[in-house]
Amino acid sequence: MTPRGRVLTGFLVAAVALFFVPALVEAADLPRFFVIFLFTAFFWIAQSSSWNVLTGFSGYFSFGQGAWYGIGVYAVAVLTGKHGWSFITALPMAGLAALVAGLGLGLVVFRLRRLTGEIFALTTLAIAFVLAALARLLPAIDGGTGVFMTGTPIPEFLGDFTTAMYRMTLVIMILTVLAAYLTYSSRLGWGLFSIRDDESVAGGLGVPVFRYKMTALGINSFFAGLMGGVWSLQLGFVTVDDVFNIRVPLFVILMSVLGGLGHWMGPVVGAVIIFTLSDRLNSAGLTDVNQIIIGSLLVVLALAVKEGVYVRMRDRWVTTLVTFFGVMAIATIFDLMGSLISDFAVAMVVTVLVLMVPDRLRERVRGGGDGPDQQEGPPVGMETVAETGQ
Amino acid sequence: MSLLAVSDVSKRFGGVVALDGVTMEIKDGEILGLVGPNGSGKSTLINVLSGFYPADRGRVSFGGADATDLPAHKLAALGIARTYQIPRPFDTMTPRQNIAVSHMFGHSRHSFDGAREAAQEWLEFTGLADVADLGVGELTLHQLKFLELARALATQPSLLLLDEVLAGLNPNEIDESVEMIRRIHSQGITILIVEHVVRAVTALSDRLVVLNHGAVIAEGEPGEVMSDPAVVTAYLGDRGRSA
Repeated sequence: MTPRGRVLTGFLVAAVALFFVPALVEAADLPRFFVIFLFTAFFWIAQSSSWNVLTGFSGYFSFGQGAWYGIGVYAVAVLTGKHGWSFITALPMAGLAALVAGLGLGLVVFRLRRLTGEIFALTTLAIAFVLAALARLLPAIDGGTGVFMTGTPIPEFLGDFTTAMYRMTLVIMILTVLAAYLTYSSRLGWGLFSIRDDESVAGGLGVPVFRYKMTALGINSFFAGLMGGVWSLQLGFVTVDDVFNIRVPLFVILMSVLGGLGHWMGPVVGAVIIFTLSDRLNSAGLTDVNQIIIGSLLVVLALAVKEGVYVRMRDRWVTTLVTFFGVMAIATIFDLMGSLISDFAVAMVVTVLVLMVPDRLRERVRGGGDGPDQQEGPPVGMETVAETGQ
Repeated sequence: MSLLAVSDVSKRFGGVVALDGVTMEIKDGEILGLVGPNGSGKSTLINVLSGFYPADRGRVSFGGADATDLPAHKLAALGIARTYQIPRPFDTMTPRQNIAVSHMFGHSRHSFDGAREAAQEWLEFTGLADVADLGVGELTLHQLKFLELARALATQPSLLLLDEVLAGLNPNEIDESVEMIRRIHSQGITILIVEHVVRAVTALSDRLVVLNHGAVIAEGEPGEVMSDPAVVTAYLGDRGRSA
């Protein structure tokens, strides 16, 4: 099987396996919270993966995630709440509205050569502020009163509310990560990488720079908006302050940077780690220190694992698997933490800490390592040709 | 037959006239040397020909079709490739990946699958196979210049614009590079070479075009052109002529 075939099979297996998790949770008589925990993780995986296609691949640093997400949330809220659309017809509009907004922004900023770097980042940030102001001012959108979503019926074939949320977020999450992977392993992805490294050289080699940046921004905004559309249900009551704030852009940046920009798997790993940790800290009543802990973790990791946790995990996969499952087994058997999710969080944190040990120190301590660690991997996000070429 | 024809091209930057009504052609299959003192407009001409700046005035045609004001990526797709005086590799990629990515674009436009094998051909051609999987930061200037060549070649161009490929190299490396350019030319690629090292460029070129203050002051067979009084004056000033 080709490497691409293997990865696509992996997607299929993961999708099918995850689809049956809620049924398993019920059969095993585990708390319903597991399902909510998982679909919230799916939300973050999709948000950070879609952000990575633009920022991680093309290097255009975007704070616009909140805007695309917010457009999706409000598209569904307004269409179902104020115009009587059914949820299932309103949902595609969430993706499309965000896509149109994203491409509209791209049409302006990517035509102006000066709008790169900090200016691009600030422009995307400004978009969210403008949208927030518009939503607050216009009664047709919000008008400052908020929009209730609790009366919106969901199609019955999706199951009860929690199961329906799980299924919808699962599908969108899988599609988003798939889009990121297909971009990554194609001419489009490589064109974006070359734009990230040197945009004018890329153009000189024949990379259609404008079209590729538009495509990346389109993928980013569409999936962010689509997931936002589903998330309007989870919010229940949609308000401007809850939707257009800095939380979404900040979290996707944290997650992607921690997991590793530039590789399609980086944001998936980063989202799982940060979301789990943040959820556990919140449920332990540590909401106030939550952000301090996560912020410090990011600083330490950014210094110790520049290429991102995912690339470390792949290069030291033996260490990763042994540590993770070792800690997981011990924690579960002796029931140290009292909950599976907490065990998972602890196992993950220990694994990440072990992965932070620098190569030099490992060599000195052990006089070697697990095979693949020895050779220097290619720079982040660039090993696919090597994999695919075999 | 002319592969590329430039007629009356002008380009100014603010008040500075970089190109002032340049008319010239590159014949199919030749090595054309473009020489001239510092600031004479050689690099600007390369940038206009490769689509980095639009010309203010004038026409450019390539392969018989109008190519005026085409953006860089379209010119690359038509078969124009260039190198940079100061190498500009994609620095998060290895040399192999640099070459693979250009193989996917330019005139060749191959798909992602198989780009790695194609890169091997150019790595071997330029003698970079041993350093193919290092970071580009570990390469010497000489190797980086060859990487520029390999990357340009991987787009499968019909016209190669070389911007001072010999600058900063030692005499041995210059000889190797001259030999490399001959090998590239023998594959049927037309070459425009901008160069300061006059000895090398006269040895390589079939024809020379001399620019001064953005205008063509002489063109023709290298030996003749370099003894042209106008050229001597441009390079050495008036004292050069009397000496």
